[in-house]
Amino acid sequence: MRKLRNSIRYLLISLICLMCLIPFIVLIILSLNTPQHSLEDGSVFIPDFYFANFYEGWIKSNIGNAMINSGFITLFALILIVILGAMAGYSISRFHYKHNRIIFAILLSCMMIPGIINTVPLYSLMIKLKAINTLWGMAIVCATLAIPQAVFVFTGFIKGIPIEIEEAAIIDGCSRFKVFWEIIFPLLKPSISAIIILNGFGIWNNYSQAVFFLQNSKKHNVPQALSVYFQQFAGAKWNLMAATALIAIVPVMIAFLLLQRKLMEGLTAGAIKG
Amino acid sequence: MKKEKIGLHTFMAIPAFLLYCIFFIYPLCRGIGMSLTDWNGIGEASFVGLQNFIDFFSDKRALTDVKTTLLFALGSAPLLNLVGLGYALLMNSKFKGKSIARMFIYMPAIISPLIMGYIWYLLLQPGRGFIYYALEDIGKGYLFGNWLGSYWSSMIVLVLVNVWQYAGMTMVIYLAGLQSIPEELYESAKIDGATGIASFRYITLPLLVPAIRINVVTNIIGSLSVFDIVMSLTGGGPGYQTETLSIYIMRMCYGNKTGYSTAVAMIMFLIILIPVLISLRLTKTKEELS
Repeated sequence: MRKLRNSIRYLLISLICLMCLIPFIVLIILSLNTPQHSLEDGSVFIPDFYFANFYEGWIKSNIGNAMINSGFITLFALILIVILGAMAGYSISRFHYKHNRIIFAILLSCMMIPGIINTVPLYSLMIKLKAINTLWGMAIVCATLAIPQAVFVFTGFIKGIPIEIEEAAIIDGCSRFKVFWEIIFPLLKPSISAIIILNGFGIWNNYSQAVFFLQNSKKHNVPQALSVYFQQFAGAKWNLMAATALIAIVPVMIAFLLLQRKLMEGLTAGAIKG
Repeated sequence: MKKEKIGLHTFMAIPAFLLYCIFFIYPLCRGIGMSLTDWNGIGEASFVGLQNFIDFFSDKRALTDVKTTLLFALGSAPLLNLVGLGYALLMNSKFKGKSIARMFIYMPAIISPLIMGYIWYLLLQPGRGFIYYALEDIGKGYLFGNWLGSYWSSMIVLVLVNVWQYAGMTMVIYLAGLQSIPEELYESAKIDGATGIASFRYITLPLLVPAIRINVVTNIIGSLSVFDIVMSLTGGGPGYQTETLSIYIMRMCYGNKTGYSTAVAMIMFLIILIPVLISLRLTKTKEELS
């Protein structure tokens, strides 16, 4: 009985895994076909191993530049989120003044508002600030959207750090700022990785804000570069579409495989605190 | 008690708050103002009162978008939670290869939903999708239909692709919830003669409430503001039928109906806020209520 149940469990989990992998497998197969390859003759499951698609996709799609842009946006946004979020979390969890309580309450209640709601008025503000079609502008927009959650996670985490650690340093004459940077900030590692993981992929993949704030093709991020490139094919040239999509996925995949273990821990930590 | 002087260090939350005020709260407030004008994005705006909101209720395309958005969320949010919880229950035991299975199931969630939409488009493209040829290979080509050609089937495809992509994320949070339930509770329930279903109902479910709350709220917000996947998979088609509210806002903004698009955004805000507040209320734990 127990054995049967276990084998059913194994079977189901394998099926689910396969279901999750199929699109990726198909993508690899399609990306290796020649342009002349017709799916009608021969087996669809055996590609031609034609690697020139990757070269052509890379050259023609502007994806390399888009990756640099996405990378810059992600990096800059994450630095902002972590530093500003940690500072706010420290202040809110340690100094129970009215202004900190109000700030926390406002951020918490705005946490539920998705970015699309204020995108249009933000767009006109960004024009005034000359931040449209700039990578730093986009990074700030992405960082802003992530601030409430980051403050929430950092506040919860810092509350759990015993205050005695700081008191000793303060008696020694350390300023509060120094205490924060040199004692508290290094202790935040687990929640910093949670924040980076929770937001990093989303910022790299952002499309709904990028459509507004990065219209210049030189400033396109990955999803935009891909969507512009794909629109010219109108559903034909699968080999190129698949190859370019695969190129676009590679950096995210590498990051995921490297961070995989941390990611699961991070999501868990974020979830339980959140 | 000695009154402590409020030092500069207590204001360390200000930079984050300032950023948030400038780039979120201020535009939000301006949006409320803009929704009362006929601004076209370039010229002068004039105050039109609630006209945009009145127009909204006679705007057929907008009302279809509301229906589509709600239907999508109605399908997506419950299904994501059920599938995610199912996966989590299945995975919630020690077995060989667990972390690899978890990795595979989570993997779709890290890919851009826009790219995911394109990948599924390659699979499902009417008459020539990869799935069609794969079925043809085994002589079952007739099973393949023009699934992106009609409203209902496109909606089902969109919901399923969304569930497929994010079930792993929901699962991970449920798994964390399940793992925080102490094993002893199940053991003592077993001694008391509780069946598997009873212990699920009276132990698992109540203790899973925090995880349920996070998942339900994020899934409601996520599916009601869905954008990327619809853009790449159906482009809002056939016609404007599967267009969602967030796509409509973007298209109206580009169509020089800036004032109107902010009014639509305000309505969308309410559409999201109501179910979120209800589900927050329903999942309140006893401590929070007292």
